[in-house]
Amino acid sequence: MKLSFLPPDMDWRCHRCSQLLVAGKVELEYLGHNFNVELPVCKGCGEVLISEELAVGRMAEVERLLEDK
Amino acid sequence: MEQKELRSWEALCIQDEPARCRAGCPFNMDARAFVMAMAAGNVQSGRAILDKSIPLPQITGSICEAPCEQYCLRKELGGPIAIASLERTCLGSTLSRGKLLRLPPRPKKVVLIGGGPASLVVAYDLAKKGYPIELYHSALPGGWLHQLPIWQLPRERLNEELALLKKGGVNFHQVERLDIALLRELEQTHDAIFIECSEELQPELLAYVPKPDMTTMATSSAKIFSDGLSSSSGSYVLAASHGREAALSIDRFLQGASLTAARPPLRHGQTALYTNTASIGAAARVTPAAGPDYSMEEAHSEAGRCLDCQCLECVKNCVYLQKFGSYPRVYARQIYNNEAIVKGIHQANILINSCSLCNQCATLCPNDFSMAELCLQARQRMVTESRMPPSAHEFALSEMRAARGDREQLLGHAPGYSTSSALFFPGCQLSGVRPDQTFALYAYLRKTTPDTGIWLSCCGAPAHWAGRQQEFNEIMMDLTNQWQQLGRPKMIFACSSCLKIIRDNLPEIEAISVWNLIKAGDFARASASSPVALSDPCTSRQDTATQSTVRKLVQDLGQPLENLTASGELTECCGYGGLMANANTAVSAAVIESRSRQNDAPFLTYCIMCREQLAEGGKESIHLLDLLFPEWAREAKEPKVSISDRRDNRTLLANRMRSEFYQEQESSPDPWDTVEVTMDDSIRALLEQRRILVQDVRQVLYTMEKEGKWLEHGKDQIRMTSLKLGTVTVWLRFLKEDSCYTILSAWSHRMQIGRILP
Repeated sequence: MKLSFLPPDMDWRCHRCSQLLVAGKVELEYLGHNFNVELPVCKGCGEVLISEELAVGRMAEVERLLEDK
Repeated sequence: MEQKELRSWEALCIQDEPARCRAGCPFNMDARAFVMAMAAGNVQSGRAILDKSIPLPQITGSICEAPCEQYCLRKELGGPIAIASLERTCLGSTLSRGKLLRLPPRPKKVVLIGGGPASLVVAYDLAKKGYPIELYHSALPGGWLHQLPIWQLPRERLNEELALLKKGGVNFHQVERLDIALLRELEQTHDAIFIECSEELQPELLAYVPKPDMTTMATSSAKIFSDGLSSSSGSYVLAASHGREAALSIDRFLQGASLTAARPPLRHGQTALYTNTASIGAAARVTPAAGPDYSMEEAHSEAGRCLDCQCLECVKNCVYLQKFGSYPRVYARQIYNNEAIVKGIHQANILINSCSLCNQCATLCPNDFSMAELCLQARQRMVTESRMPPSAHEFALSEMRAARGDREQLLGHAPGYSTSSALFFPGCQLSGVRPDQTFALYAYLRKTTPDTGIWLSCCGAPAHWAGRQQEFNEIMMDLTNQWQQLGRPKMIFACSSCLKIIRDNLPEIEAISVWNLIKAGDFARASASSPVALSDPCTSRQDTATQSTVRKLVQDLGQPLENLTASGELTECCGYGGLMANANTAVSAAVIESRSRQNDAPFLTYCIMCREQLAEGGKESIHLLDLLFPEWAREAKEPKVSISDRRDNRTLLANRMRSEFYQEQESSPDPWDTVEVTMDDSIRALLEQRRILVQDVRQVLYTMEKEGKWLEHGKDQIRMTSLKLGTVTVWLRFLKEDSCYTILSAWSHRMQIGRILP
């Protein structure tokens, strides 16, 4: 099961590297639990985009769940 | 929590104790449930309760003398519920089940001598358990029941019960005489014998039967059980009760089990259940209009008088306890189970962290059950075992640490003095919300006692409430050291929470409430003559002295007060206490909403957090300082001060004192303090709700510029950036025009971004 959180609008550029963000696999971690998810990343510097929708939505949900685990 | 500890918690909560009617019933019938079923018009449910609880329901339900009624709490409030009459009405409008439900047959043989009510009950109870029963009688089965008037015991009911017994495996043997010879014969062939001692027996047999133990109905002869002449008392319920106890003993005897071990004794009305009847008015018992029995309507009306005895004293008065749908005894077990979980979801974490620790429950509880103690201990264990959800308390803890940090903390003697006989500790929230009033209050204190020092800091209450005992103990040690260094002055507190923390933990410090030092004569009388309702902060619960002082002060200032029932010892928490608002905003919002509705008048309080919580809930409220310093007074309708402004205010107040009192440098600003940030009110509110400080926003932007790293969108120049601050990563979406940043949105997450995988 591939966890993908690419926002519908991918028109984001990393200013420092002057590159468009592309889909990449990122390791996320909270309270010792790890997840590999697909997120927009900058291939130049490793910058990752966590959208507002993701952060206050699914991510917040998972954080709460993990806190009660 | 150990099991033993759980048991002692559970024992304190008496909500599960039986109602007095049930406690007074020798058959332990849930009479409360029966009456409530009748009150709801559920006659069939009522009948089902009779059928499953009492022996020979159609007989017992018709003629039971109802010892339950003497214990009914309605006794003093219009007369006990007519439970017996309700049973009769119920029987009259429902049908019998038609058969005795029996367990699979048991290989032991039981014989009963005598056909009176006690024997019939033994037959009923043991036949249901699958024992084959032989019943020897010389008179009509039913014995003296046949002497009762027909209106009292309709003969069809008696006959139907007898028919059910026969169908259920009870063999009736009519004999000429019940004598010793019969007994000797039956002793050989049967495993247990019950003898009902009445006139039906031959006198020689009557004299022969040993007197039974009145708890077990067992006699000195192992196989023989007896009712001990209860029949001659003329009391049906006594005979039936002895029959039931005898049947229970016989069942145990035949299985080789102890007759007494783990045998619940008859309660005779004794119960630990407490029911508050203070607000119940008397309502007269319904008398049947025609004949001895109720009509269905009359029965419905009579059953409607039932108090449905519960305790729930704490739950009735606490929104938090209501929100989780149960009561303390259950919560104790949920918390115990929560700790026992190794793998799985700790569902009670939120229950544990949502309590305001205010102890109103313990004050109301007849046994002083304290959810505060239960929850706080649970939090401490969660912290020790690293199981405390970070999001529950982290924001409040970081605020506490900042208030104790270099910028916001200040400790010094009064300007121009090198010693302090007294030391004013306004508390972190008052300084953060009302810095001007705090400054003015301090100036006032110095008028009477010029060598009053000042200490801007936090007392550590958030650490204590969060269960972080180690951090809290360190804070206490630090406070003690600083107090000692200043010469161990008397400490003056403006906040009831600070006062409680210091009194509870540092008893060596003389700690008084600032309101004791306010002389009403030094202030103008209150301009507003319309009454306000005084809301005592929850941490003042046991501090009746301060509560009285405040009331007198308010009275002397000429401010009329309205009564708030839940005040004084019974006051409610505003939701700030115990970090409830931090851990569970939904519950704290419900708490404040309920509190606000308790009186239509605006509220007056002497805890600034109460004032802010009430304001957030839309309630007009003022702080006592608004009466004392009307020149600095804020509007009762004014919304709460933002979390960002609280930080700035504390810093500004400390800096003002550094400069004005000590001619010291202001604390060095952070390099991002000058970053220009602007946003819509709606975005400001969003940041507040998401607990993102404007100071954090500045830091994120400053760091972004330094590192030259951000994300840019399409062609509209919208940017995004993020920064990890402590355990939280803050994100911004914004526009930059010249050197000013317009924040379009801000969000955060705790999940950490690791490496990019190839």
